[in-house]
Amino acid sequence: MACMDRASPALKQILLKLYHAEKSIEIDHHLYEFGSVEYHIQSQASNPLVAYLSISIPPLCHGILPNNLSPYTMKMVKGICPNVVEIEEPARGGYQLTLKLNLDQIPRNKDYVKVIEDISSVQSVILSSQLKEILWNVNSDDASPGMYKPIKLVYHPREPFFVIRQPQRIIAVFPIRFREKSDIVIATTFFQELMEVGNSDKWTKTPPCTWSAIPPPELRGEAFEDLSTDGGFFSFDISSRHVEGSRLDKTVWNLLNFNIYVRNHVKSTKGFIHRRMRKRLENLVQVLHGTNSEENEQAKQIKQRQGIRYTTKLVRSSKHTMKQRWRTLGRKIKRIHFRLKIHGFTRFRQRWLRFPKFSSTKYTKLE
Amino acid sequence: MATTTLRLYLTCIRNTLHAAMCLQNFPCQEVERHNKPEVELKTSPELLLNPVLICRNEAEKCLIETSINSLRISLKVKQADELENILTKKFLRFLSMRAEAFQVLRRKPVQGYDISFLITNYHCEEMQKQKLIDFIVQFMEDIDKEISELKLSVNTRGRLVATEFLKQFI
Repeated sequence: MACMDRASPALKQILLKLYHAEKSIEIDHHLYEFGSVEYHIQSQASNPLVAYLSISIPPLCHGILPNNLSPYTMKMVKGICPNVVEIEEPARGGYQLTLKLNLDQIPRNKDYVKVIEDISSVQSVILSSQLKEILWNVNSDDASPGMYKPIKLVYHPREPFFVIRQPQRIIAVFPIRFREKSDIVIATTFFQELMEVGNSDKWTKTPPCTWSAIPPPELRGEAFEDLSTDGGFFSFDISSRHVEGSRLDKTVWNLLNFNIYVRNHVKSTKGFIHRRMRKRLENLVQVLHGTNSEENEQAKQIKQRQGIRYTTKLVRSSKHTMKQRWRTLGRKIKRIHFRLKIHGFTRFRQRWLRFPKFSSTKYTKLE
Repeated sequence: MATTTLRLYLTCIRNTLHAAMCLQNFPCQEVERHNKPEVELKTSPELLLNPVLICRNEAEKCLIETSINSLRISLKVKQADELENILTKKFLRFLSMRAEAFQVLRRKPVQGYDISFLITNYHCEEMQKQKLIDFIVQFMEDIDKEISELKLSVNTRGRLVATEFLKQFI
């Protein structure tokens, strides 16, 4: 089991908590990662300077590698941080490895983060050393014809890959499986690009890679379920120069992470496509709604113009017309009051029932 | 050459839409006090016009079905390879699921086509006819452009990621 980050985030967090604890704390945690890796971390309040980390990890390869960790793997684990990490013999029940962590030996300066990170990456160290053991024998002449048989490495139950040892080289074949068709297409595009880039002159130092929809001939005779894929087979041709010195570690880590790398690329590409689509949707909606808003603006402009015309008309109307309007209104009111029409009554009212007019300007002087 | 054929194709669609988009309010003849798009129901043949099929090639075509009160436009977008096919399906499905944002977009395309629009007389009253035609034509242009750009981006991303992966070996 491998992940892009070498250190286990949960384990790192617990170790940091232990390191930062001012008072002695009791910890007894069981952690499960990727379904099959189990950690057990224990620290007692009576002895706060020591913590015990047990790990159970399924073997990378059933049959070829023993279930117990090999001496080389143990050596690699010891080398993580010799002052802090000690291997407990025998390992606790149900676990393959138990480490005694001397917390007081962790440096008090800034380096403590690196040390804790190294301890948290114990699982990746075990996996890498197991694969290294296989790859190391590339140049060995003891490869009998029987050794050409593919070795199935399972670092995830659904994502096994094969390593085929041949004279002077090792072929790593990754069967690619995806659930969705879109994932397969994106992954296939990536494989084509990887093949193109990898086989160009600029990248001669990297292992040559090939992708094929059908299983490579080296896998002939393998179980049908291992050969039935939807994304084809991707192969790396690893020669001795790719496992020399410090390159070995890089090659091992890249091979272990290849499947996760591809899946991560597919996931991020889908996210990218989705973001693009969302942006384009907004643009298209703007185009359509732009038509509506333009129409509304035009309608508003027309209404505004009409309103302006009405006010100007009102302003322009003369005093004369206003007076006329008042008079007609007065007549109408009068008609309302005098519903019964008596012939000659209007003249009578005008002559005899006239209200005296009081003018403010004309007055009679009292003597 | 491709640009010229695309322009001709789009001009043909524009002109046909211009001719076909003379819709009017028309109540349903089957159900009283109902107003339904006749192009969808197809209950009265006298209310339907002959459908027009405009093809740029076998993979790209546009079907314009007209009735007295509604118009249905179905588009088939070109899909040259599997990546284009996936991108087109993804994008058009994405748009169809958000059909309410467009008003004129049909949630399910007509069989044999990738995306369909349904324009009724009410849409023509609410929006300007010319603007609606412009939108349809621009939509077609944008889809083509977007699919090409997406394909290019996916390939470029793939190449960059491949380069980064191979760098780790050195």
